[in-house]
Amino acid sequence: MIRFVAPRAAWTAIALTVGGALLLALLPFVMAPYSIRVGQLFILAAGLAVAWTILGGFSGYWSFGNAAFVGTGAFAAALTQVSMAGSSPVLAFTASLIVAVAVNGAMALAIAWPILRLRGIYFAIAMLGVSQVCYELVSNIDALRGAIGLNLVDIVPRGVAPERFYYWALLICAVIITIAAIAVRYTKIGYGLIAIREDEDTARMLGVPTSRYKIQAFVISAMLTAVMGVIYAQNLGYITANSVYRNEFNLNVIVYSLLGGMGTIIGPIIGAGLMTYVTQVLLGELLDIHMFVTGLLLAILVLAAPNGLLGIYDAWRLKARRQLQEQSP
Amino acid sequence: MLSLQTLADGLVLGGLFSLAAVGFSLLFGVLGVVNLSHGAFVLIGGYAAWSIWYFAGIDPLLALPIVMAGMFVLGYVFQRTIIQWATQRASLLASMLLTYGFALMIRNALVLIYSPDFKSITPSYAFDAITIGEITLGLTRVAALVVSVVLLGLLAALLQWSSLGRVIRATAQQEQAAALCGVNIRHVFAMTAGLSAAFAGAAGVAIGLVLPFSPPDETLWTVNAFVVVTLGGIGSPAGALVGGLILGIVNTTTAQLVGAAFPNAMMFLLLVLMLIARPAGLLGHSFRGSR
Repeated sequence: MIRFVAPRAAWTAIALTVGGALLLALLPFVMAPYSIRVGQLFILAAGLAVAWTILGGFSGYWSFGNAAFVGTGAFAAALTQVSMAGSSPVLAFTASLIVAVAVNGAMALAIAWPILRLRGIYFAIAMLGVSQVCYELVSNIDALRGAIGLNLVDIVPRGVAPERFYYWALLICAVIITIAAIAVRYTKIGYGLIAIREDEDTARMLGVPTSRYKIQAFVISAMLTAVMGVIYAQNLGYITANSVYRNEFNLNVIVYSLLGGMGTIIGPIIGAGLMTYVTQVLLGELLDIHMFVTGLLLAILVLAAPNGLLGIYDAWRLKARRQLQEQSP
Repeated sequence: MLSLQTLADGLVLGGLFSLAAVGFSLLFGVLGVVNLSHGAFVLIGGYAAWSIWYFAGIDPLLALPIVMAGMFVLGYVFQRTIIQWATQRASLLASMLLTYGFALMIRNALVLIYSPDFKSITPSYAFDAITIGEITLGLTRVAALVVSVVLLGLLAALLQWSSLGRVIRATAQQEQAAALCGVNIRHVFAMTAGLSAAFAGAAGVAIGLVLPFSPPDETLWTVNAFVVVTLGGIGSPAGALVGGLILGIVNTTTAQLVGAAFPNAMMFLLLVLMLIARPAGLLGHSFRGSR
């Protein structure tokens, strides 16, 4: 059994997650197929951003190469399914999911020790390098078929609309990821990671096993990202290196956390929701200037709310509390 | 077998990488700001030179000073207004996100103005070449290499011997101490950003002479600048030159010896190995950015 340092906060967070997910799970019954697709994008974005935040948000090690894990997970799964051609789709899918998580975990473990010695901007660039190397290798080694592409098995049961099925599949994975993030955050490792973010050298001096915590967080984050990557690939049905090693996966997860609030679990979810709404719904008609408006929004955001939306909320709460104290001395 | 021609091509490419990275390196080294819109600045320079050549018929090499002056003003204003605001109110990492936002905006604006198609600058001498021994180089390539080396030399001299250069170096080492000695830090930062943008613009002109370019290339040039700076070391023209030349030569030799599809993989592999072995870069020293 997991031992939470702050059990009340942890169980509240888990209850909120499950409650929110149940509400979201009901939405496809009342939404049009297009809205369900937008919903999928939101859940995918939120899941990836929460998985990223386990390392990036808690410990302050910003990875710019999250696409490495999305893509590698997707390709590990697709190649497993191809090698299992002939067996039942559900079996092939389950096996491929396990393989993808294992491959990502192994890859993260292999690169963790050297790469986590780097700090700040250098870690960020090195991860960008890792994602580029993965992309180039998958596209250029013929056996991996990144350039030609791979088909994935169809696992949608009969009688269920595919967009609904994948909406729920993504939702389940996102809930698992969020609960995992809560479990990391409120146990000893989470407090260690936050100590690393505040001052790694001091934390280490005070006996926090910094290297072990960082590596654990890195591997957990990579494995959870694989889950999301596999479902994403499954939803696409046919993947090439270009469609899964996408630069958006590298940068957007950071943007979501910054928008919502860095270092929290709800922050990236809020950020993902807001960005998806703005880019897909508000700007859905303006494809020509889509990128321009996204960029402008980012710039305004950084200038107006440098600590994200939760930062504004915290500042407001602090102000309210001060006023309350002044009134009742 | 590795030919001299491959090496010469690598040198030309390396010169371009160096010139495109030196401004990024300067800004990173002195201000600690990672300017993700640097690649977009490079492209603005390229498109400006293309416009001057296409509409007024002026040779890109003659347009170079005009482009650099324009870009200098742009960089100065960009720093004094926007980046300064972000770094004071938020953090250096936030400035990274901000410049990423600007890169997106510039890219989109370039697509709207110039269309997403590839553009290339072909002056009258574009198809002439000179041959030395077994090496043949197009005149435009020679021009690009000369421009890169001369400009990098000028920047190094400026930083080493001019009073502005001395003030910039002092600010990079100790911001507060420099301020105590009467240096106007904001002005120096903005001058540095201006120089950075001017060199990005110059790189754009040189790139336009040699390679076709299109708006999405901005990502490539930003990432290349990153790699060059990491290989060579932050904040100095010499570091940018060393990093750029290594990258250029690795690029062409990998294409020849391993396969045309692998230069990028090799480049990033080298980057990751370099970061692990010597994160400060070959010529790196303890300027702020490399700490």
